[in-house]
Amino acid sequence: MTDWSVKRWRTLLLLSGSLGLATNLAAMGPAGDLERARYAMYVASLGGVVSTPTEYAGDMHANAAIPAFARKYNMPCSACHTAWPELNAFGQRFRDRGYQLGNDRDSPIWVNPSYIPFAIRTTPGWRMERTTNQPVDAGLGTTEKTITQSGFDISGADLLMMGTLYKNITFGFVPTIADGEGVGIEAAFVRFDNLFRSTWANLKVGKFEMDNMLSEKRGMMLSSNGAFYQSYHFVAPGDGTTFGLGDNQIGAEWQGHSDNSYTRLTLAVLGGVDGTPGLPEGKSYDGMFAASQAFDMGNLGLQRIGLYGYLGHRPTSFETVGGEPVPGTGTDNKPFSRFGAVGDFFLGNLELIPLVMHASDDKDLAGGTQDATWNSGLLEVHYYVSPQLVFTQRSEIIRMSQQALPSIPDHKGNIDAFTFGYRWYPIMFSRAGLAMVGELSFTKTIGTMPLSGDGVGLDPLTDDTAVKSTSLLIAFDFDF
Amino acid sequence: MQRIFLRGCAAGFGLLLSAAGVLAAQAQSVSHVGNLTGNAAAGAREYRRYCVGCHGQAGDGLGENAMWVDPRPRDFTAAVFKCRSTPTGTLPTDDDLYRSVTRGFVTTNMPSWEPLTRQARANVVAYIKTFSSRWSQGPGTPIPVPPETPATMESILHGRQLFQSMECWKCHGAAGHGDGPSASTLTDSKDNPIRPYNFASGSRFKCGDSNADLYRVFMTGLDGTPMPSFADNIQPNDAWDLVHFLRTLQPMPSPEAALWQAWLPGHAGELKPIGPD
Amino acid sequence: MRSRFALSLTLLALTASLTGALAGPGGNAGSVSGTVTFTGTPPKMRPIDMSKEPSCAAQHATPLMNETIVSGPGNTVQNAVVYISAGDQPSAAPTQTVRYDQKGCEYLPHVLVMHAGQPLEIYNDDQTSHNIHPLARTNPEWNKSQPPGSPAIKATYAQPEFIPVKCNIHPWMHGYFVVLNTTHGVATGNDGKFSIAGLPPGKYTVTAWHEKFGTLSQEIEITGSSAATANFAFKALPY
Repeated sequence: MTDWSVKRWRTLLLLSGSLGLATNLAAMGPAGDLERARYAMYVASLGGVVSTPTEYAGDMHANAAIPAFARKYNMPCSACHTAWPELNAFGQRFRDRGYQLGNDRDSPIWVNPSYIPFAIRTTPGWRMERTTNQPVDAGLGTTEKTITQSGFDISGADLLMMGTLYKNITFGFVPTIADGEGVGIEAAFVRFDNLFRSTWANLKVGKFEMDNMLSEKRGMMLSSNGAFYQSYHFVAPGDGTTFGLGDNQIGAEWQGHSDNSYTRLTLAVLGGVDGTPGLPEGKSYDGMFAASQAFDMGNLGLQRIGLYGYLGHRPTSFETVGGEPVPGTGTDNKPFSRFGAVGDFFLGNLELIPLVMHASDDKDLAGGTQDATWNSGLLEVHYYVSPQLVFTQRSEIIRMSQQALPSIPDHKGNIDAFTFGYRWYPIMFSRAGLAMVGELSFTKTIGTMPLSGDGVGLDPLTDDTAVKSTSLLIAFDFDF
Repeated sequence: MQRIFLRGCAAGFGLLLSAAGVLAAQAQSVSHVGNLTGNAAAGAREYRRYCVGCHGQAGDGLGENAMWVDPRPRDFTAAVFKCRSTPTGTLPTDDDLYRSVTRGFVTTNMPSWEPLTRQARANVVAYIKTFSSRWSQGPGTPIPVPPETPATMESILHGRQLFQSMECWKCHGAAGHGDGPSASTLTDSKDNPIRPYNFASGSRFKCGDSNADLYRVFMTGLDGTPMPSFADNIQPNDAWDLVHFLRTLQPMPSPEAALWQAWLPGHAGELKPIGPD
Repeated sequence: MRSRFALSLTLLALTASLTGALAGPGGNAGSVSGTVTFTGTPPKMRPIDMSKEPSCAAQHATPLMNETIVSGPGNTVQNAVVYISAGDQPSAAPTQTVRYDQKGCEYLPHVLVMHAGQPLEIYNDDQTSHNIHPLARTNPEWNKSQPPGSPAIKATYAQPEFIPVKCNIHPWMHGYFVVLNTTHGVATGNDGKFSIAGLPPGKYTVTAWHEKFGTLSQEIEITGSSAATANFAFKALPY
């Protein structure tokens, strides 16, 4: 299922100008899909690319493992990564320093001029996607069917260009190519490192991934359902808020860290555009903070705990011309927030990453009469048999605690998600990387279309339906 | 038949014992750093992840990246180490190795491994010691480093005399720029070309930044390189004088450099040039 | 039957060794001597440019030649070390000190033979500093500075090894410490001749080593107080 048929539905909605066309749309409320679709259309008209989560996670693995760094500094991937793309403590400090080792040889003048900071990552393979309770035509009406798709497929590719322009001036540029979607810019930033000769003052400006301790861009899973942190993208049923904690945002980030990066603090001011360039929204700004502290626990390993929060605003009205909203003129901002705690614990070769989140979207953003609030939690487990073999598992739940409208059933939108996978690295090398990936992922969503996975992109016919989306992936993830 | 069987058993058992012996030796290799005890078996896992790319599976400095790296990665099988607190020709202490791993070596490909837990670093030190049988002799005895004498102009000027009389300038150059008459012909103990430290470069010392680290550099020598030990020729207090003078050759701010810069304009004519007599 | 045969064999062996032991002063009188030469064309040695060290250059009326190959009339090889490499009894280190001099920016002798554990003293007879840097592998490698007028550096080497010695300040200075586990070893002079005395009867392997030409070995047998001969002819190539 490609998203062209989703677009067809959205276009139909727009052209018809009416809202509750089909029974399966009525339950979403007036602001829901229309707002989303309208937004998508405007963004597309401005030339931006909206990341559609129904794609095979092609745009999910930007900012990943970067063999260009291995080439520049002559180190194998395992030095900086527990199992690439996830960073270990040494790699985290390298990143915090602005991709610098701090050996007085970081300025690009020390590197052979033929070195170009360029790396590519892509993942061809075979996948299967199955989604239950998908509305399909049946004569003059609609019925629900389980849709299964499978076959060989390719992912998009990320072109990873990150490095130093000069000592303590870092840049990042990550265009991402997805077949059928064109080229998007996942990241484009400049960072001034160690201002005032202090590790506590680093300033990054541009489009970049936020300082999430659990990074979706450096996630260990790649399938449609597995690569997706539901907590990072979920909005309540009917909620039109365009935001994902896992989406790269455009703004300015001040980051400070202790010399070994055991203590980390981040404050960011971001445009309220969910990373979409072209100033499409209003003139409001969002704020994000993250703080974490790591503890050296001897034989057990390093333990880290963190707190994070995002406070955002989205406009609820625009100037219009001919009935169409004018980008950049958004006003009547309403707030939304995401707050939580996250941990990264090692018991020898076993890594446990718990995360909890409380989210709240203002009633006007959520399209209802009261704020939509929900809580989520996940536990991700990695077991590192060796630097070349890791088994992964994730369990995640999202529970609505207050729906935007009293008429929306309490449990609508609730998600249970489980993923099992492994990554095996036949080579652990200082120039390129290859991982053979196997993954099985399940997502169960109550009453709404699945946030991740494929399917037809429509809500099920009733609010009580538990839509189950399954992904199976066998792929070669390579990185040069 | 029975005799052959018994002999076979004996041989097999002997083989098992020797294999166990090797493993036992490896497993037994421990390091003591502060209150930490590192063990080689755990260190072997850290080594595979972090170190093998340069230092090689056999610890011989011939990892896959070694050919691209200058200076070359250390060959642990030779058991010759640059940064020590122990006299020339002796092995470093566990603490010396631990500090080297933690600090890294600036201007080289060896990074600071400080983000690793202390236990992980201690484990790696224990594993490094399994690459040479010379470790069974144990490390040398750290040289005594007396308390630092005050950094006065007298001390600096005496240090300058030592720089002349000990002929440091033959390699390091009259102004410490690493351009002395012998500088271009220097090779390390593996016959790779090597340059003497250039004090004017602004890079930090590889063996540590403090005055005490600098003291140890020339009082223990940098084994494996042309830099000898002057422990037999310089008295400990005089060594501090030399340390104070060497700081004036560096562009980084230091109390000694400040004193020197303040004194120099009025007294430059008094200085005898450094170089051949 | 078998056991009686074994018994008589043992008695015979005992007698033979006793005879050897009771042979009196002739018991260690065996010797081996010979000449070390080369055939073919060795590389040309070049004069050493000591202009960077004027105090040393002044000590050589004609420039010193590179000492990798020093030969005498009749293609004899100087600075070869001939020693008993197998068959010798274990011996204790002599207590007599061997001496190595740095004079005129030259190592004297070019090759110094010593026993493992024998005390070594290194002297700097020049007006310039030298650093003495023996590049040992089996033994610990050390590197010490030796300014003019400073006392001798004392050292010993516990393991047999052929150790190149260099001075980093004066890159042309090359020499060798040849550490043996026998006292039966000697370096040849300009006439290429060697003589090793004090050998009890028995079978020995005599080895000649040269820093450039390599190694050659021969088996000899000493009976009673015989004087064996072993000549060595290295093959020289022009490179």
